[in-house]
Amino acid sequence: MPSLKDIRSRIDTTRNTQQITKAMKLVSAAKLRKAQNAIVNMRPYAQSLLRVIANIAATGRVSHPLFTPPTEVRKVLLVVLSSDRGLCGGFNAQINRFVDQYLRQNKPKYEAVDTIFIGRRSLDFFMRRGITPIESLTKLDKEISLDLASTMAEKLVKRYLAGEYQEIRIVYNEFKSAISQTVVCETLLPIDLSKQTLSGGESSALGFSQDMIFEPAPELMIEQLLVKHFSIQMFRYMAESVASEHGARMTAMENATNNAKDVLAKLTLTYNKLRQEKITTELIEIVSGAEAL
Amino acid sequence: MFKLNLVTPEKRLVVDQELEEITLPAYAGELNILPGHAPLMTTLEPGILSYRLKNGQTDKLAISWGYCQVSGEGVSVLAERAVHASEVDTKADQEQLKNNEARMMTETLDDDQWEKIQKDIARLNAELDLAQGLR
Repeated sequence: MPSLKDIRSRIDTTRNTQQITKAMKLVSAAKLRKAQNAIVNMRPYAQSLLRVIANIAATGRVSHPLFTPPTEVRKVLLVVLSSDRGLCGGFNAQINRFVDQYLRQNKPKYEAVDTIFIGRRSLDFFMRRGITPIESLTKLDKEISLDLASTMAEKLVKRYLAGEYQEIRIVYNEFKSAISQTVVCETLLPIDLSKQTLSGGESSALGFSQDMIFEPAPELMIEQLLVKHFSIQMFRYMAESVASEHGARMTAMENATNNAKDVLAKLTLTYNKLRQEKITTELIEIVSGAEAL
Repeated sequence: MFKLNLVTPEKRLVVDQELEEITLPAYAGELNILPGHAPLMTTLEPGILSYRLKNGQTDKLAISWGYCQVSGEGVSVLAERAVHASEVDTKADQEQLKNNEARMMTETLDDDQWEKIQKDIARLNAELDLAQGLR
């Protein structure tokens, strides 16, 4: 049976924890809003860039290795986006589980499946399991920037064009809402234009006429545009992942705060019961002591 | 209706505003576009972009890489980076400029790096010129 003093100190620690989780929730909420804004602000840029690429591609005058699928996929590169810090519910665990499964299922299919980890959580997880990435990127706790994304994107494009890999895929947490994130695995390269051209139903909105003047020639232009598009995509994935992280952390901290509240209520109840019991015993002792006289 | 849309990855600067005239640093040199321009698609070089809207509002921005599409409905400009004169960090830019020049003098650079530095210098010069009101 814990003493009154023990319970009191437990109540204090729980209250402190509750305060911390509450503060963390507020911080995450603020960061989440910022990350969400970044995604929303970037969307028109990304969309119109994609539209133009799709339009140029649709003229059929150009072909580019970045969007012509290879005949045979021998080596695959998997880019994994996780976070640097924990305390965000299943955010990193989900990713790690998915990648673990993916590696196990697909290793036999291809000549090699290599990985790049962005974020310390999955890097540590897989390093412990003896999977060494060809590259990794950690300490992202500061703002993710377009610069960072484009450096990464350029590296990937280089590897792809050099023929090191025939397919590059990305695994990240897609931001659905603050309470729901889903692990998504998408193909980064080759760029799949057919799907996007179809889904971007408004592609003719800007009126892409046949006698469009191109400066420079479309072949040169698409090269630049594709690399930019790819950087933007990379940035979007990172932004989504960051938003998911903060969303997940916000929910996790919200739950933790609620749990702390429950625990506090229970502890207070026990504390009061114990106190009453103690008073009753003391009273009985006094009364029986008086009667004995 | 000849409209202007000007967006960067970080913000939307102009959305569907009726355009009177726009001047851009295009791939083949400075380009002035008035309503009724032939359909055109061009990439943009680092430089100064200025426009005048129908409602008389004018603006000047230093842009880095981007591209521009002109169609019957208007002009849509996508710039990777666009700053107003007031947003230019003169000190940091000058520092960066010196830094780049030093690198060009001392380091051996491959073609990619060389091109990157050249672009960066062009961007910095454009931003500084804009901030100092030279262009």
